[in-house]
Amino acid sequence: MTEFAALAQLTVVAMVPYLLASLGTMLGGLTGVFSVSQEGVMLLGAAIGFLVSYGTGSTTIGILLAAGTGAVFGAALGWATTVLRLDQFVVGLALFFAATGLAGLLYRIVIGQGATTPRVDTLPRVEIPLLSDIPVLGTALFSHNVLVYLAALLAVGAWFFLYRTRAGLDLRSVGENPKAADSLGIPVVRNRLWTATAGGALMAVAGAYLPLVYTGTYTDSIVGGRGWLAIALTFFGGWRPQFIVLGALFFAAMDVVALRAEVAGIDIPSQVLLVVPYVATLLVMVFAFRWARVPEFLGRNYDRESRTT
Amino acid sequence: MSAPVLTDTDAPAPATERPAVRLLRGLLPYVLALVLAFVVSGVVIAALGYDVVEAYRTIVTTSFRTGFGFTETLTKWVPLTLLALGFTIPLAVGRFNIGGEGQLLVGATAAAGVGIVYADLPTAVLLPLVVLAGVLSGAVWAGIAAFLMGRFRVNEILSTVLLNFVSFQVLDYAATEVWSDPAAGVAATQRVGEGAELPVLGGPPGVHAGIVLALLVAAATTVVTRRTAAGFELRAAGANPRAAAINGIRVEKVAVVALVVGGALGGLAGALEVGGVHGRAIEGMQSNFLLLGIIIGLIARGSALWVPVVAFGIAILEVGASSMQRTVGVPAEMVLIIEALILIFLLLSDVIAGRLARRVT
Repeated sequence: MTEFAALAQLTVVAMVPYLLASLGTMLGGLTGVFSVSQEGVMLLGAAIGFLVSYGTGSTTIGILLAAGTGAVFGAALGWATTVLRLDQFVVGLALFFAATGLAGLLYRIVIGQGATTPRVDTLPRVEIPLLSDIPVLGTALFSHNVLVYLAALLAVGAWFFLYRTRAGLDLRSVGENPKAADSLGIPVVRNRLWTATAGGALMAVAGAYLPLVYTGTYTDSIVGGRGWLAIALTFFGGWRPQFIVLGALFFAAMDVVALRAEVAGIDIPSQVLLVVPYVATLLVMVFAFRWARVPEFLGRNYDRESRTT
Repeated sequence: MSAPVLTDTDAPAPATERPAVRLLRGLLPYVLALVLAFVVSGVVIAALGYDVVEAYRTIVTTSFRTGFGFTETLTKWVPLTLLALGFTIPLAVGRFNIGGEGQLLVGATAAAGVGIVYADLPTAVLLPLVVLAGVLSGAVWAGIAAFLMGRFRVNEILSTVLLNFVSFQVLDYAATEVWSDPAAGVAATQRVGEGAELPVLGGPPGVHAGIVLALLVAAATTVVTRRTAAGFELRAAGANPRAAAINGIRVEKVAVVALVVGGALGGLAGALEVGGVHGRAIEGMQSNFLLLGIIIGLIARGSALWVPVVAFGIAILEVGASSMQRTVGVPAEMVLIIEALILIFLLLSDVIAGRLARRVT
């Protein structure tokens, strides 16, 4: 049973980057702004989070600055696609390159090309009084770093905001039918701008989580495809926070199982196990695409003067 | 999804405009984007305390100052052009092939496998087999994504990316289990037989013969997309899917075929890297080729004619980047930022050009 509790705890820890990046993707996507720069923005978030924490000794400042940088990239995507109406995928890819290059450059400038890899202290666990004493469940759910709790609150908050408030309804209408939303006086551009900006910030925090919670060090491959998986996860979750949480749990469990099976010495080539999350995601998407709703205007720019939209 | 991703370079010019004027007008945004990208990056390099002039001079001259540099540039040009074309062809139908990396690695693994298993065959037999193995495996790899896209409507951006991660493990399995070579020092397969190695042209230093294949592929792509019925269907399906469907073009089928062809080119790139450069499949051999292939495809605006030209420019930057890191100390990542900025400024210059045009008319 303790083994199970430990696995459950690892899974919860591993799901946070997926959850944050996917919530960020969802937020922008619900108003129609589809980002493909997650992988780059997460890497930049990881670099900035790590370097600032390394320099200042404060993880909090590291996370905040990472979030700010992500917000700038999200705002750039929002601005280029709403105000300038440039193609969303092309801009997203350009920002992905820029962020990737910037992450590597910053790390090389601050740390240099040296052989030793510096470390930072990872976020401490905060045990929630009483709740963390519950057997199994206490270890699995209530004995984590603050970002885990924050991500959980965010998912619940996002659900409440989107489905139980007027502003959330307005926001979703922008992604479904911007023309109708516009004619009702809902500010299309403003909604797209703030959701894209907040989405970028979330992606960067998801990236900063990796060195600051997971590894304590930064490498160029630290994100390892989680950004792309976050996009898949958002589709899988049907652009709804409640299902995205479930999807993130599934992705994280895949990660943990693949790692554990390798350690446990199961007699299968390790490559087969490492491939499981990606193949499973592909298979899941085959089914997910049948039932998952996608915002009607996802990835399309809105031009008030156009007659065709 | 919005269909016409990029402006078509074949857009009809005003009848009064001469071709030379049209070309100049087309090149103007590029010049502007290049200048702005280098100015902005220059400010950054200077702010970091490096010698900007020296850094830029190193980037631009490395390829031309030495025969070795030029060889390296041409050698790099081959996979870059092929991957960029592999991205560009599906892009014409509005599909994004982000799986070039996986297609290259799977192609390289298959090519190396054939080159190892049939090492004793004579060149005339083995070399075509090796190249074919690369092309076919790349096509199959992209074919998985194409099948899922055509049959189950799985977004091709995601499926091709996911397959990239699977391909890492495919190569890892070949390099550490099936054909592992412990003496290589890195995770890599054994060397292919001599018959699987591409001849070297004009050496030493010399470029492998794969460059001829890449040139032929680039020329063929240009001709097919511009001068044949298949190319017309491709462009029509991308420009306006609904109108194309009404006119009897099976848009979905065109998209599937385009993606498979794109994958075949990625696989070819992998086979040529094995036969012409490394002599084996090595983990990490794809380096930044996919990113660069996408940048090239986007800067060339999906024109198969311009892809080889842009690829040459990017190859110069890339070869210059490592030289700049060695001699001036500016991290090579700076070049990735320059490339991203070129793309961003190119997009912005479109906006400006569009506004100006509207004001004139």
